[in-house]
Amino acid sequence: MRRETPIARFWSEFRESRVAVAALVVVVLMIGVALLAPLIAPQNPYDLANLVLSDARRPPGYVGSSGYTHWLGTDAQGRDLLSAILYGLRISLQMGLVAGAIAFAIGVTLGIAAAYLGGRREAFIMRVIDLQLAFPAILLALVISALLGQGKAQLIAALVAAQYAYFARTAHGAASAERGKDYVEAALSTPLPARQVIWRHILPNCLPPLIVVATVQVANAIALEATLSFLGVGLPVTEPSLGSLIANGFQYMLSGRYWISIYPGLALILLIVAINLVGDQIRDQVNPRLKR
Amino acid sequence: MSTGAAATPLLEVVDLTTQFFTRAGVVKAVDGVSFSLRRGEVMGLVGESGSGKSVTGFSIIGLIDPPGRVAGGSVKLEGRELVGLPAEELRSLRGRVVSMVFQDPLMTLNPVLTIGEQIRLAIEAHETVSAAEARRRAIAGLAQVRIPRPEATVDFYPHQLSGGMRQRVAIAIALLHRPKLIICDEPTTALDVSIQAEILAEMKELVAELGTALIWISHDLATVASIAQHVAVMRLGKIVEAGPTLDVLTRPQHAYTRALLDALPSRAKPGELLLRGGGVPDAAPPARNPAATVATPVLNAPYFVADRVSKRFETRPNALRGLGQKLGLVQPPAAVMAVDEVSLVVPRGEALGLVGESGSGKSTLGRMAAGIYAPSSGTVRFEGRPVMSDGPEPKKLTTRVQTIFQDPFASLNPRMRIGEGIAEGPLAHGLVSKTGAATYVRDWLAAVGLDPAFAERYPHQFSGGQRQRVAIARALAMQPDLVVCDEPVASLDVSIQAQIINLLMRLRAELGLTLIFISHDLSVVRHLCDRVAVMYRGRIVEEGPAGEVYDNPQHDYTRRLLAAVPVLPEAAA
Repeated sequence: MRRETPIARFWSEFRESRVAVAALVVVVLMIGVALLAPLIAPQNPYDLANLVLSDARRPPGYVGSSGYTHWLGTDAQGRDLLSAILYGLRISLQMGLVAGAIAFAIGVTLGIAAAYLGGRREAFIMRVIDLQLAFPAILLALVISALLGQGKAQLIAALVAAQYAYFARTAHGAASAERGKDYVEAALSTPLPARQVIWRHILPNCLPPLIVVATVQVANAIALEATLSFLGVGLPVTEPSLGSLIANGFQYMLSGRYWISIYPGLALILLIVAINLVGDQIRDQVNPRLKR
Repeated sequence: MSTGAAATPLLEVVDLTTQFFTRAGVVKAVDGVSFSLRRGEVMGLVGESGSGKSVTGFSIIGLIDPPGRVAGGSVKLEGRELVGLPAEELRSLRGRVVSMVFQDPLMTLNPVLTIGEQIRLAIEAHETVSAAEARRRAIAGLAQVRIPRPEATVDFYPHQLSGGMRQRVAIAIALLHRPKLIICDEPTTALDVSIQAEILAEMKELVAELGTALIWISHDLATVASIAQHVAVMRLGKIVEAGPTLDVLTRPQHAYTRALLDALPSRAKPGELLLRGGGVPDAAPPARNPAATVATPVLNAPYFVADRVSKRFETRPNALRGLGQKLGLVQPPAAVMAVDEVSLVVPRGEALGLVGESGSGKSTLGRMAAGIYAPSSGTVRFEGRPVMSDGPEPKKLTTRVQTIFQDPFASLNPRMRIGEGIAEGPLAHGLVSKTGAATYVRDWLAAVGLDPAFAERYPHQFSGGQRQRVAIARALAMQPDLVVCDEPVASLDVSIQAQIINLLMRLRAELGLTLIFISHDLSVVRHLCDRVAVMYRGRIVEEGPAGEVYDNPQHDYTRRLLAAVPVLPEAAA
């Protein structure tokens, strides 16, 4: 008889994959530096008083007029790129997590409601979602950000609209499977109120696949946000995310000042790949078909 | 035992040891098993789950996958050592000299190949044949296992055949190359008794006809008794007792064999506790909540009645098919009448047994009685009040009818501590106060023979028998008057089954429960129930006091069903 808790067992299996552990360390580190950005960044890139135009477009390792080394160089406004990346990471993660959480809540509610209600209502909800999935997420997000204008809230709305459908699909599939199981029938035949059956019985058992989708979708939201910002319909220039930073440096790429785009790009790739690796490992662990 | 002439036995297993190297340590699944088998002999290998009987079978033909390994001992087939033989050579033996039949033919037959193609592949594994020759032999093989119209069946896919037919196909494949030995692992466990009886009879004839030796692995002593001349009883990886079947079953020497036999309800008087003696009696269940409101029964209404209930299962057409049907392009699929106008009255305090084979509608009827399915027509009433509401979304109206499900692995929420699971229903219905819930749960756990401290555990930390006790506690904690038990012991080992039957009998007496007990196992029903209703194709074909139905069946189907049950040889004493 095993006495270990489900979480302890999960962790001991997770630890077996070195790649996943490394990826998790990267994710945690990046979240950490993003949170601590105001404390550890050499410069506040939003404070225009700090920027010295003569320091603009300097290569990595340049010692600026303020007396400290710009390890990753500076951009066209003389901003320290390392500081800009730390702050950009902060915004990118914030967008990804908030949009992911809202999309999770909306999508899971719709998906489980559809599975629980069944019949015409289920068909209606799911067909609307199918219809939406037929459009590319980027197209949908572009249209919505174009309609709503720039700003954090507007961007989150666009990201949620593009992503909730994935959660709804997964939740619907998982909940439909759980709905037919004996323990749900047992709960219904007690009888327990529908609310309790959904919250305490169906939802907790749908969580494993949803957690997998959530990790992947946070990464996707970050990438989508970067894409929108790169295209200029995302965040305003006053709050540059990693996507805006890449866009800012894009025009200097061909003149040899690669660092302005490349370093934010590397940070973005590192973050997204790390989140996806963690997600892959969780997926392998919750997939009973891959259980040894 | 053997005399000079048949000097070498066909199969000689000496001190076979198979170990599994798991995260938790080394598990000795087979721990020093020795036996021998002569040509044409049938040996039964009996034991409960985890006894190592299947692993013994797999070890003989080298089908142990990592993390398992045959760690020692020897398996000699016609004097040739099989342990340590290269995989290639073992493969050339499998199917040709030794073959295997598994429990679930749906898992072993390839769903995308026709029966004929699968047989051709099995032939080609060891010989080169032309397509026409393969087909001819496939048809002959199917005819040999008594499959009707083999010329047509050979082109079927597995899903087009019934369970019994599929198992016959698996046996036909096992027999293709005239093997010297066939190992059957629970080959009839997934089948209904009448099909099991047919397969047993056919297998006996085939073995006699072909002179094949047979190892028949089963948890069921009675099936083994009806086919095997010799039997070995396994427990915890060891053979505890072996000998001629009749001797072992009528004069068991080992305490474990005796306990296994005593656990069988067919060998006890109806209503008696099984596995007499031993054990501290469990605590009494907690008292009912007197404050819980109980509606006064409707005068003169029968206690529990199912009034001409039917259940029709229809596949709802999707939009496209629905359109097709409206336009007359597609035929609407035939609706399945799972239960067809059945009426049933259960007086207070009675235990009614509902028996029948799979597909007879007994579970569907039970689920309508329990308020899980709403009947397509007819009503179910308890004390004169309907159990479920009418309307497009029927809801269960009473808490006084509860259900115990078959599979305790499926009927408990895997992510909820069992204490919460037991308490949530009574809390939702005010049967127990928030402050009293913890004590109430502990009292119930004690009443079903579990440690009250188990309330904090999750279902996966329990064995099957313990889980079923939890499921019983959960149902009874709702303070029901009528309990629908849907095959509550079908997935349990005999000794655990006996404990659960005892528990149900004790709680029924202590709480004055009325039971509807659904089972395919006639002996369990006879043991527990006052009255029996026999279901066949959605209808009750015979109903009456248990003793009368069993001793003097009136309906033809009941007679066939009773005749199909394998019987243990009576103890000579």
